[in-house]
Amino acid sequence: MIDQHIASAFDRDLEAIQALLIKMGGLVEEAILLGAQSLETRDTELADKVRAGDKTIDALELQINEEAARTIALRAPVSKDLRTILTVLRVSASLERIGDYAKNMAKRTHVLADQRQIEGPDAALRRMAREVQEMLRDTLDAFVRRDAALAEDVRQRDHDIDQMYNALFREFLTFMMEDPRNITACMHLHFIAKNVERMGDLVTNMCEQIIYLVTGEHPEEPRQKGDQTAIFGGDA
Amino acid sequence: MNDMRLMERAVDMNETKIAAKGVQVYYGATHAIKDVSIDVPARTVTAFIGPSGCGKSTFLRCLNRMNDTIDICRVEGDIRLDGEDIYDKRVDPVQLRAKVGMVFQKPNPFPKSIYDNVAYGPRIHGLAKSKADLDEIVERALRRGAIWDEVKDRLHAPGTGLSGGQQQRLCIARAVATEPEVLLMDEPCSALDPIATAQVEELIDELRAQYSVVIVTHSMQQAARVSQKTAFFHLGHLVEFGETGQIFTNPRDPRTESYISGRIG
Repeated sequence: MIDQHIASAFDRDLEAIQALLIKMGGLVEEAILLGAQSLETRDTELADKVRAGDKTIDALELQINEEAARTIALRAPVSKDLRTILTVLRVSASLERIGDYAKNMAKRTHVLADQRQIEGPDAALRRMAREVQEMLRDTLDAFVRRDAALAEDVRQRDHDIDQMYNALFREFLTFMMEDPRNITACMHLHFIAKNVERMGDLVTNMCEQIIYLVTGEHPEEPRQKGDQTAIFGGDA
Repeated sequence: MNDMRLMERAVDMNETKIAAKGVQVYYGATHAIKDVSIDVPARTVTAFIGPSGCGKSTFLRCLNRMNDTIDICRVEGDIRLDGEDIYDKRVDPVQLRAKVGMVFQKPNPFPKSIYDNVAYGPRIHGLAKSKADLDEIVERALRRGAIWDEVKDRLHAPGTGLSGGQQQRLCIARAVATEPEVLLMDEPCSALDPIATAQVEELIDELRAQYSVVIVTHSMQQAARVSQKTAFFHLGHLVEFGETGQIFTNPRDPRTESYISGRIG
């Protein structure tokens, strides 16, 4: 199948809207990495940069929404084109949310900078954030290449993130039981860990949407659920 | 799934109205329809789409033997209406066309009054016993054609004096006057403005409670709006036939994909 529309302006519109999404994805990846870095190094200046950068991400989401609405109204996309627009809309909404979590991580850097340092979780959180960022990078690759297999691979990797979160959850409990003076820091760090875990879930949603984009079907096979803190209370 | 709009799209696909098997059509040496098999469901709008010359109109015309009127046209295969072979020698094509009505691209009212346009079919088929009977048939048909209110005070004015959209709805009323079971429509809206198009589409949706409607259209959006089943024809082949929502969100065949999304294919 030749992949060009008879109306070449339609192709240009679709390409432009996807380029915006990729740009947004790149900024969100960066926000995750820099947010985690600012946290680990307690670098409040870098944290402020991440917080300011979220405005650009939000603006991009708005622009993508407008362009998508316009394309739907003017071109009445069907089939793969329709699935592309739907995917762009859902992925951009998830990206925006991930951007918010990254911003929140940066925000908590300020509070944590004034708290006593807890050895251990910082590095684990940074590894977790890096893992999520890599999942996001692969997800955007899967979107660009229309690669359902890669999207499925990323989808399964969310299990690792959940495992990391479970481990951190227990670690925080231990720290808090050891010394109540750790509680403030641990609460903040726990929120961050939970948020990174949520980022993984959002990336997973994106992957499911990409599988739908490529195959026209939603993935049926359930994925492993790794976050068990709600069931076991974490003191196992 | 409590949404009414979603519910009404669900169609009882069990009952087949027209069953075509291995249909071949030749115009002289030209092989226009190549081995088409399709089951047109009862009380459903089925849309035929495809590029010009793909055979969708030719195939539509097979369904009420309109191709009989073309000397060089030869139809092979099996087409059954409620299980009966419509190409059987004992079938009278005129009777068949009363059961399988047709509406054309260009509104073509007879140069007669509005009343006589609608009364013509019932008269030649002897459906009315009296003048009062006929009046009733005409009114019912015009109501079903969603044009009664607009013409009830001028039934004896010429049909050709109506607007294009009204003329087309008059032609639909004329087609339903003989109580057909199937209504074939060959691009019924291509000569109409958007308002008249919307009125005819609304009418088609109402008609499907009683009839099987088969509509040939070049407007993909129209096919998407009015039909529950869509068949895509290409170069004389039936490429894909499926639920309309599926055809427009996730077509199985790359040729369907190319065509409906406006790609060069």
